[in-house]
Amino acid sequence: MRLSAYYAYAKKQFLSRSAYRFDHLMGILSTCLQFFIFYEIYRTLYGSKESVDGITMSMITTNFVLSLGLSAIFSPNDYFVPGRIWDGSISTELLRPMSFKGRMIAENVGDACFNLIFKFIPVLLIAIFTTGMEKPAGIGNMILFLISAILGYGVLWTISFLVQMTAFWLINIWSLITIKDVFVNVLSGMMIPLWFMPDWMAGVIKFTPFASIYFTPVQIYLGQLSISEIVFKCGVQLFWTVIIYALGNVLWNKGQKKLVVQGG
Amino acid sequence: MSFIEVSNISKTYKISKRKSGVPGMLANLFVPKYENKEAVKNVSFSIEKGEMVGFVGPNGAGKSTTIKMLSGILYPDTGEINVSGLIPYKQRKEYVSRIGVVFGQKSQLQWDLPVIDSFELLKAIYSIPDDVYKKNLDRYMEMLDMDKFIKQPVRQLSLGQRMRADIAAALLHSPEIVFFDEPTIGVDVVGKDAIRNFIKDLNAEDGVTMIFTTHDMQDIEKTCNRLVIISEGSKIYDGTLDGVRKLHGSSRQLDVYFMNDSEVAEIPDVEIVEVDKRHSQFIFDGKKVHINDLMSHLLGTYNVKDINISEPDIESIIRKIYSREKVAG
Ligand SMILES: Nc1ncnc2c1ncn2[C@@H]1O[C@H](COP(=O)(O)OP(=O)(O)OP(=O)(O)O)[C@@H](O)[C@H]1O
Ligand SMILES: [Mg+2]
Repeated sequence: MRLSAYYAYAKKQFLSRSAYRFDHLMGILSTCLQFFIFYEIYRTLYGSKESVDGITMSMITTNFVLSLGLSAIFSPNDYFVPGRIWDGSISTELLRPMSFKGRMIAENVGDACFNLIFKFIPVLLIAIFTTGMEKPAGIGNMILFLISAILGYGVLWTISFLVQMTAFWLINIWSLITIKDVFVNVLSGMMIPLWFMPDWMAGVIKFTPFASIYFTPVQIYLGQLSISEIVFKCGVQLFWTVIIYALGNVLWNKGQKKLVVQGG
Repeated sequence: MSFIEVSNISKTYKISKRKSGVPGMLANLFVPKYENKEAVKNVSFSIEKGEMVGFVGPNGAGKSTTIKMLSGILYPDTGEINVSGLIPYKQRKEYVSRIGVVFGQKSQLQWDLPVIDSFELLKAIYSIPDDVYKKNLDRYMEMLDMDKFIKQPVRQLSLGQRMRADIAAALLHSPEIVFFDEPTIGVDVVGKDAIRNFIKDLNAEDGVTMIFTTHDMQDIEKTCNRLVIISEGSKIYDGTLDGVRKLHGSSRQLDVYFMNDSEVAEIPDVEIVEVDKRHSQFIFDGKKVHINDLMSHLLGTYNVKDINISEPDIESIIRKIYSREKVAG
C-alpha cells in the first residue's frame, strides 16, 4: 500500500476546503446556531430545576457540545460515490492504482482534520466561554473518549458507505441519504439526549448502531460508565463498524460489476 | 499471444424506458420497463506492443464502451480481455498503474486546483520517482506548450488547454499503453496538430502502445497505420489505412454542388452520399461507369453550380462505409 498517495488525497482535500473561507464561516455559524437553539430549549424545559432524572443542565450542554462537535468533525461526504456515479467521474477514480475505499477515507480524513481545527475548536471555545460545560471525568476518560470517538466515526462512516453503495443500482439516492440522516440525528442522541428517551425506546435504540456514534463517547467523557461497560460499548462500536463495512463491501463488489459509466 | 488480446467481448446496457407524465412516472415506479441496448457485440482483435490503432465509427457505435472495457472500468458481459497476462477489470489496481487514459469529454484533473497541483497529486498517486517526473514534465511542457497555463486552476482553462493538460496528466507515469477517447474533440487546427505530433512522437520514441478513437479522419491519417471501424457494436473493418483505400481501388469521386436544394435520384452502379441538400458525392468505379455519361446525366437533370472530380478521400470512404452499414443494418 502506498500511503503517500492516500496522504496526498487527504492533504488535497484539506487545502481545497481552505479555499472556501465563506463556506467554513457559515459552517461554524450553523453549528453554533444548532447548539444555542438546543441549549435554549433545554434551559427552558429545566427552568429552575437542578437536575432531571439525575441529569444536570451542564451534562446536557456537554452532550450537545460533544455530539454536535463530533458530528461537525465527522461529516462523511454522502455524495462522494453517488455524485461520481451520477456524472460518470467514477471512471477517473477507478483508473487510479489505489484502493477506492482507501481514497474515500483519505479524503474524508482530510475533511475531518479541517473540521476539527476550523469548526470543532471554535465551537468548543465559544461554548466554554458562554454556556460552560463539564470537564472530562478524568485523564483516563479523556483518552477513552478519544478512542471511542474514533470508533464512533467508524460506525458513522460505514453507515454512509453502505448507503452510498446503493447508488450503483439506484443512481439517485438523495432521499435515502435524507432518511439516513434523520435516523442518525434522532437515534444517536444528537437532538434528544438518549437519557430522556422512554425506557422501551432507549432499550431498542441501544441495539442500533446509531446510539454508539456520539452517545457512547459522551457517556465515557462524563464518567457515566464503569470500565467493563466501556469495554462492552466500545466492543459494540467495533462490532457495528465491522458488520456494516462488510455489508457495504458486498454491495461494492457487486456494484463494480454492474457499474455503468455515464457519459461517453 | 499478442500484447493486447480481446476475444468476443459484448456489453449490453439496460436502459429504463421512461414514460412521461405523472401516470407514466407511477407506472415506472411499480413496473419498471427496461430496454436492452447492445453497445458492443462480439468484438475481437489483437494488438501488438508499440502499435498505434485508430478506432472510428459513427456516434453510438460502441467505441467509448470498448475503451472503457479495455481500461478496466467496465466489465464485459461476455468475452475476455487480456493485456500482457493481466485481466483489466479483475486486476484493476495492478493494471491501471501501467496504462494511461484520456477521455476527451471528461477531465480527470482536479477542477479547483492549478494544473501543476493536479500533476503533483498524480506524482504521489503513481509514486513517480522524482527524476522520471521531472523529465516527463519538462518534456510534455515543451511539446504541448503548457507553460502559459500550468499555474491556472483547471476550471479557468480553455477546452484546448484543458485537453493538453489532461493528455500530459495521463502520461506522467510513463504508461506502457495509452487509451485516448476523442483526444482532439473541440480543439482548433493548431492544437490538433500539436496533439497529433505529440502522440506520434511518443509512439515512435518510447514505443508506447496507443489506441484512440476519433471522428476526425485526419487524426487517423496523420498518426495511425492501423484502423478499426466499428459500427452498431460490431467490428466491420480491421486493417491498414491503405487497405481501406484499396477497397475502393479504381473508384472516382464526383463532388457536385447544386444551385438549389436538390433531391438526388438513384443511379445504377453509383454510390450517392448526400453531404447536404446542395452538395452530393457520387462515388463510382471508373471501369463500370463512364464519366461522360454520368456528367451529362447530372448536367441534364439538375441545376449544377460546380463539379469536382477526385479520388475519394478517406473521409468520404468512411462516410460511405457508415451509410452502407446503416442501410444493411
Ligand atoms: N451509460 C449508458 N447507459 C445506457 N446506454 C448507454 C450508456 N452509455 C452508452 N450507451 C449506449 O451504448 C451505445 C454505444 O455508446 P458509446 O458511448 O460506446 O458510443 P461511441 O462509439 O463512443 O459514440 P460517440 O462517437 O458518439 O462517442 C450507444 O447506443 C449508447 O446510447
Ligand atoms: Mg464516445
